[in-house]
Amino acid sequence: MKKKVLATLLATAMVAGCLAGCGGSNDTAATEEAPAADAATEEAAPAEDAAEETAPAADAAADPVANLIAATTDTVTLTVWASEEDQDLTTQLLDEFKAAYPDVTFDITLGAESESTAKDTILTDVEAAADVYAFADDQINELVQAGALQEVVTSYTYDVATENAAGAVEAASVDGKLYAYPMTADNGYFMFYDSSVFTEDDVQSLEKMIEVAEAAGKKIAMDISNGWYIYSFFQGAGYELSLNDDGVTNTCTWNAAGATDVAQAIMDLTASGVLVDMGDEDMATQIAEGTIVACVNGTWRAETAAEAWGDNYAATKLPTFQVAGKDCQMSSYSGYKLVGVNPHSANVGWSMLLAEYLTNEASQTARFEARGLGPANLAAASSDAVQANPAISALAAQAAYATPQRVGGNFWSPAETLGQILASGNPDGTDLQTLLDTTVEGITAPVE
Amino acid sequence: MKKALNAIGNYFKNIGIAFAKGDIWVKLSAIVMGAGYFARKQIINGIIMLLVEVLFVVMCIGYAAPNLAKFGTLGTVQFEQVFDPLTMTSTVNDYDNSFLILLNSIISLFLILVFILFWIANMKAVYRLQQKKENGEHINNFREDVRSMFNEKFHITLLTLPAIGVILMNILPILVLVAVAFTNYDQQHMPPNALFTWVGWNNFKNLFTNSVTVTFGYSFKKVLVWTLEWAVLATFTTYIGGILLAKFINDKKTKLPKMWRTLFIVAIAVPQFVTLLLVRNFFADNGIVNTFCSSIGLTDFLKSVGLVSSNLTYIPFLTNPGWAKVMIVLINIWVGVPYQMLVATGVLMNIPEDQIESARIDGANPFQIFVKITMPYMLFVTGPSLITDFVKNINNFNVIYLLTQDVYVTSDQLLANSNAKEIDLLVTWLFRLTNEYYNYKMASVIGIIVFIICAAFTLITFTRTIKGDKEEEFQ
Amino acid sequence: MKKKVNLVLRHVFLLLLVVIWLVPILWLFVTSFSGYKGINTSHFFPDTWTLDNYAQLFFRSDSIVQYNRWFMNTLVIAIFTCIISTILVLMVSYTMSKLRFPGRKQLMSFSIILNMFPGVLSMIAVYFTLKTFGLTNSHIGMIIVYSAGAGLGYLICKGFMDTISVSLSEAARLEGASEAKIFWRIIIPLSKPIIVYTVINAFLLPWGDFVFAKLMLNSGVATDWTVAIGLFNMLGKSMINKYFSVFCAGGVIISIPISILFVIMQKFYVEGITGGSVKG
Repeated sequence: MKKKVLATLLATAMVAGCLAGCGGSNDTAATEEAPAADAATEEAAPAEDAAEETAPAADAAADPVANLIAATTDTVTLTVWASEEDQDLTTQLLDEFKAAYPDVTFDITLGAESESTAKDTILTDVEAAADVYAFADDQINELVQAGALQEVVTSYTYDVATENAAGAVEAASVDGKLYAYPMTADNGYFMFYDSSVFTEDDVQSLEKMIEVAEAAGKKIAMDISNGWYIYSFFQGAGYELSLNDDGVTNTCTWNAAGATDVAQAIMDLTASGVLVDMGDEDMATQIAEGTIVACVNGTWRAETAAEAWGDNYAATKLPTFQVAGKDCQMSSYSGYKLVGVNPHSANVGWSMLLAEYLTNEASQTARFEARGLGPANLAAASSDAVQANPAISALAAQAAYATPQRVGGNFWSPAETLGQILASGNPDGTDLQTLLDTTVEGITAPVE
Repeated sequence: MKKALNAIGNYFKNIGIAFAKGDIWVKLSAIVMGAGYFARKQIINGIIMLLVEVLFVVMCIGYAAPNLAKFGTLGTVQFEQVFDPLTMTSTVNDYDNSFLILLNSIISLFLILVFILFWIANMKAVYRLQQKKENGEHINNFREDVRSMFNEKFHITLLTLPAIGVILMNILPILVLVAVAFTNYDQQHMPPNALFTWVGWNNFKNLFTNSVTVTFGYSFKKVLVWTLEWAVLATFTTYIGGILLAKFINDKKTKLPKMWRTLFIVAIAVPQFVTLLLVRNFFADNGIVNTFCSSIGLTDFLKSVGLVSSNLTYIPFLTNPGWAKVMIVLINIWVGVPYQMLVATGVLMNIPEDQIESARIDGANPFQIFVKITMPYMLFVTGPSLITDFVKNINNFNVIYLLTQDVYVTSDQLLANSNAKEIDLLVTWLFRLTNEYYNYKMASVIGIIVFIICAAFTLITFTRTIKGDKEEEFQ
Repeated sequence: MKKKVNLVLRHVFLLLLVVIWLVPILWLFVTSFSGYKGINTSHFFPDTWTLDNYAQLFFRSDSIVQYNRWFMNTLVIAIFTCIISTILVLMVSYTMSKLRFPGRKQLMSFSIILNMFPGVLSMIAVYFTLKTFGLTNSHIGMIIVYSAGAGLGYLICKGFMDTISVSLSEAARLEGASEAKIFWRIIIPLSKPIIVYTVINAFLLPWGDFVFAKLMLNSGVATDWTVAIGLFNMLGKSMINKYFSVFCAGGVIISIPISILFVIMQKFYVEGITGGSVKG
């Protein structure tokens, strides 16, 4: 009986969600402009005005934001987690958010939690995690499974689903349901290079790049012993890795016929010692020291590269590499940074509004301006400044060969080891097919 | 063993006697605790007992019963939440949290056990009171009872507080851990969103069987072997190193022994995690030591000898299994020797000089003296602490974790398939399983096994020292 | 002549060892003055020298670096931990060493085994137990974590107390002193070296632990952290290139008081630990 009632409730909620969602999209522009227009003349809550202006027919009670403001009497206590690099900007955005709702007293605490490790902290104790937090899109499956993400049934101040790039929305969804607010669309990888060493033609092929770098006595870096990056070779050569419908286990064809050629290719590429297997932190130092003239990495290294190479700083899509004499375009993971709301929050409503605020067009633009992060918001991404950014345009060029990251937890460790073995030239001389078979066995291992 | 059984037998016999021979007040005490005290005019004692009983009943009804009722299934009501987009609030059903049920049940069971023991003690005490009264012996008033807590029963007073702490921080968590080993608590069954339940011995079976995809058994053996190797190596190298260094510094020929000692102490005064993280970067693949080695040609030399594989441009100090194992042991010597030196310094000062003197007169060289006199004495004196160190090294989390986390990638595929690495100790493997993969059930199983290994080692050595009873020797 | 060469060789060898032991410490020290924030992998000594890393620690707190707060937090936790732990250890060691009661040996064996249980294993259970009492994310919780189980670490202290002659307490007992009085007036004053040893060990614990601290203080708010979490965090993937030399400066700062403590206490420490470990 209990279940049935719940199901009915859920259904109603969903329908209501859809309705509100549609309404929301109409409201958006007005809501955003409202504070600016009205602030001078009156102190009333902007959202309330917006509702009255755009939906005169609607009863005031039907406007959820106004309802929420009216229903909020106590101080709203929220915790927000943003990455260490994002602290200054987020502080500023939080102040703006508070100012946008002058009738409500907020007590917002900002904590530091890197997007790439958010999951580790959150899953240990979901209830103790922040109300609103930023995370990388590859964690979304596990977060949803652990009940750490509030479904975004509707949006209030702007339409999350249509204003952001389709890929970003897809990355923020699980099974067609939206669970997070896209914040940036730049969490993938591509090629940085020093244009005083490589010409634009050189960077089309990895083999050519290695040749040129060797002649120059320099090195090219890529974190090969890392599942995230080694994926680009196998996917590029047409071998598959995907998440099963259960959301936990993987399907992987990296040991299919011909896949040994890919493994051989990686070994050949690294054999000369020019393409080196190197972690991200090391790359930063080595770029600065000038030993590395090209690397596969993401926008977070753009600053380092631009500083070291100055005017010669350039970025482009990943090159091709040769598999059994045939050129294959290296693939990549497209990555997004998302903002999620914790369903265990005591103030889910305000958390959602805050998450929307942190990811709206203005905030995404501000984030690009402050830190050079590529916006997921279509309007923000179309600005000239964004288009002219080398790292972001390189990402855009790579986008055609990038796939969203959907993979179960069993992938990482075996893939990392595969990369390690191949990059160190298969020191034990294991048969390549056996090597790949074992890797695939680990990747596709069942999860009880 | 027989003694223990006898003791238990006597324990229960005494209650029987109390029941059989006790008067109405003693019998009533079984239901209304404190009755026996009231009858002997120990009003305050009686009130305390009654209060304890009332508290216990309240605890049972309010806390233990609801949790224990779900203990068999660990909860059945899944977390469900409905968000109302209009009011922007969400409602959550009255869901079960398996972990909390488990934890609270264990606490409840523990409290119940304590209460039963308390109840038995109470019965006995009440019966003794009756006997005293019958024999016309003096019955303590409350003040005298309190005073006895600072005399013949002083041990109870002193141990109560430490015991509470130990129960909270050690015993309860261990009990929870043991319980988790029999459940399917992992990432797919993580409260509050999901429930987990009992699975019996399945996890233990998984550990020891080597099915095709789950390489747990293989990894476990490998990790266990390295853990033991490491513990032996780490313990003996630092131990011997410490003694040699202490002897060297304390030698009469060494000038300024205090200064030398202080210099070594500076190295341990920097907190371990700082030095270890630092050393990790010091020996990084592209770190300063590698820069140095390649500039003096050491890297190329090692390549030509075959110690470093040919496509590397650096020495994989902490990234190649062989190198990393050696480096970890060396770094551990670096970390541990100053400590051991401090200890050894103290012990060496107490070595009976006359023995060494007479050996010297007999014509023994310094090496012989060291092997025949110094070492046996050291071993005799520090033997037990050597075993403690050994067990500590089995669980030496810091050194391994801080030196290799995020740096070391295993090249053994079977280990990788179980998220283990060649340089993992059981504890670090377990830490990774819980911290990164949330595999609490397997982590608990490994935890229990580590515990059994450690307990065996300690039992063997300490029961000997306790039984051998040199305790009174110096008193 | 040969003797002289030997003497020189002996000191050269010792010097060599000291160099090996102090090179990383020296690196820590010099890097803390580096003008370059990341890791300098080509030169041992920094290219530019500056005090900026220290200035950043002390005067430019932001939401990630709150060194003054960390230091104070850790100090407060350390002081309370050390008081509580020491009291607990003394209580247990005295009981086990000087009092005789049924079940004493069994209790000793039991507690020794219990103490061998690595804390890392039961961390999650400890976390949720304390969470039930609302003690996570609080310094009280941290103090409990560090000190509650301290009673189990009584072994060395007990060994030391065993060496205190029983005739002293016998004499006092004859004069009518209670057990409590004997504990306070006779045993405690005589146990000075081992008390110092216990105090130092307990005091150092919070400065070096990051595993428990990271789990317990999980609000992500830098002002709550201890020095260990803060410094550990600085070497995270995204931080290391901007904070490595600041980390070194932080490491140097906490090492100074601890070094001084160690050097001053050296004598007691050696006496305490050996007095105790003689009997294990």
